Amino acid sequence: MLDKRLVIVSGKGGVGKSAVTSGLALLGQRHGLRILAVEMESGGGLSAHFGTGPLEFAPREVRPGLHAMHMVRSDALLEYLSLQLRLPGMGRFGAFARAFDALATAAPAVREIVTIGKILWEVREDRWDMVVVDAAPTGQIASYLRAPASISELVATGRIRSQAEWMAETLADETRTQLMLVTLPEELPTAETLETLEWVERTGIVSKPVVVANRVLEPVGATTTPPGMAGDMVTLHRSLVDEQHKWLDKLPPDLTLPYLFGLFTPGEVAAHISDDLEALR
Amino acid sequence: MTKTVLVAGAGGVGKTTFAAAMAVKAARAGVRTLVVTVDPARRLASALGVNDLGDEPQPHADEEDLWAAMLDSEASWRAVAMRHADPEIATRLADNEFFRAASEHFPASQSYAAADQAATFVQARAWDLVIVDTPPSGGGIDFFTAPAQMADLVGGRLLRWITGGPLPGRRFFYDRAARPMLRVADTILGSDLLQRVSEFLLDLRSTYDGVARRGREIETVLREAATLVVTTADPAPVAEAVRFYRQLPDLATTPAAVVFNRALPPEWATATPDPGIPAELARITEQWSAETLRQADARDEFSARYGARVATVPWRPNPPTDLAGLADLMDSSDGIPWSNLLP
Repeated sequence: MLDKRLVIVSGKGGVGKSAVTSGLALLGQRHGLRILAVEMESGGGLSAHFGTGPLEFAPREVRPGLHAMHMVRSDALLEYLSLQLRLPGMGRFGAFARAFDALATAAPAVREIVTIGKILWEVREDRWDMVVVDAAPTGQIASYLRAPASISELVATGRIRSQAEWMAETLADETRTQLMLVTLPEELPTAETLETLEWVERTGIVSKPVVVANRVLEPVGATTTPPGMAGDMVTLHRSLVDEQHKWLDKLPPDLTLPYLFGLFTPGEVAAHISDDLEALR
Repeated sequence: MTKTVLVAGAGGVGKTTFAAAMAVKAARAGVRTLVVTVDPARRLASALGVNDLGDEPQPHADEEDLWAAMLDSEASWRAVAMRHADPEIATRLADNEFFRAASEHFPASQSYAAADQAATFVQARAWDLVIVDTPPSGGGIDFFTAPAQMADLVGGRLLRWITGGPLPGRRFFYDRAARPMLRVADTILGSDLLQRVSEFLLDLRSTYDGVARRGREIETVLREAATLVVTTADPAPVAEAVRFYRQLPDLATTPAAVVFNRALPPEWATATPDPGIPAELARITEQWSAETLRQADARDEFSARYGARVATVPWRPNPPTDLAGLADLMDSSDGIPWSNLLP
């Protein structure tokens, strides 16, 4: 679980992607690894799980050895341009970055390569043992992962093309990169996870993903039902377990995380998931 | 006049099922009702009597007064071009490789298409009640901001940024090598990509007048609609619901209620199991009590802090997938402000 250089955590919205990402980052930190956690989407929940204020583009140390950042595409682009063009005075590029970003709205893969490129660049530099990404939801993750390949098809010349090649290699390398799909044992998240698994197998853009089922209820061993309200609770629990199993059987997941009862804060959730991942190791 | 109810909320909270259940309840009360939904689960779609994507509302075979439409956002985007551009340009746009990219990259475009289509149904005056299950893009808020964003997109903002000046004519792009900024773009992206994109954007701009006019009509529909926010008591959806509750008064109307889905019976919070029951079952009882308490706290905090009307829909182990189940779900709900929602 901790031997990859890059773990990209995706899943349908609302399944607990940010919680699992932060749990994994805390696990790595606990084992003394230098970790960078990246919040890829605006409004992502990573900062809440670390209990920090809003994250920024510049990585900030949120625990000893654990840094976290928020992806800002225009900042990533400015950084890229200043590195590529080796020109001073980044401020002058503000207008250009806006123009470039506007262009990227209409050009396939250009927008995504800026984001995924920044992440892959952080992996390539030796500052981190592991980069953990709270990534785009499964509906959009494919367009990020295939961006390097799409750029190679779309752009015949230009500097970005040669860079796209090492990016595609890093993503496809099973020793360095792991895609982790978080799901819930419910109909729509399961369907989306299966679609993503099928897409990965068909394209080979990344190696086989790890599937994590979140909020899984423990089956009831006892066969009796107590009277009264307690009985209603046990009956609901059993029915939910049956419903969950219908969807778990279709996957099946590589890891399962338990339903967390009565927890209040995102920070508590992250700490619990980190403990649960430790137990699964 | 047609009453419109916009059901907002983050993905995964049961918003689609709730919208469907509301529609069944209204239809059974004799209100001619259309429910407009995006990406429903397969079994729910068939319960509503729609099995294919398509923009045309279908009457339900077994339920008089119930109609359903399932939006295909990709087809709708194409419809935007067809509706607002000259036929020649519309065809060129629809075939353009960048058109698809733009519709994927501009998250509000799906929402725009959905809002446009939903507004069309409202304006048709063929139903007494139109219930819209809003698409989840942008955390769900895109549906409400899309008309303005779309007008901005096709209005030449992109072109102005690319050129750094006023709107260019088509000839501009053939002289582009003269401009240092564009030369830099050429170095990085290769030489002809910029020109291909720019020509596409010029075509897209020809839809501006139509899109802007339509955007104002859509905004009128939004401002006359009732809104509901659906959430669960989990922290992430509640945070989204707070965002909706604060923003909707400006974008549409103050939500008539915040609906907490998957609610447990309130009396479970204080349940004390018989001392004699097996330890495992006692533990399960404690867990669900704690969960019930947490849910109640989340609701109380929402209404205390934001002055929201709070409603609940009970947790069903199996999501309802037929008309009877949907009707039962609504009958078991509590606090839904029906008088504000029905025509």
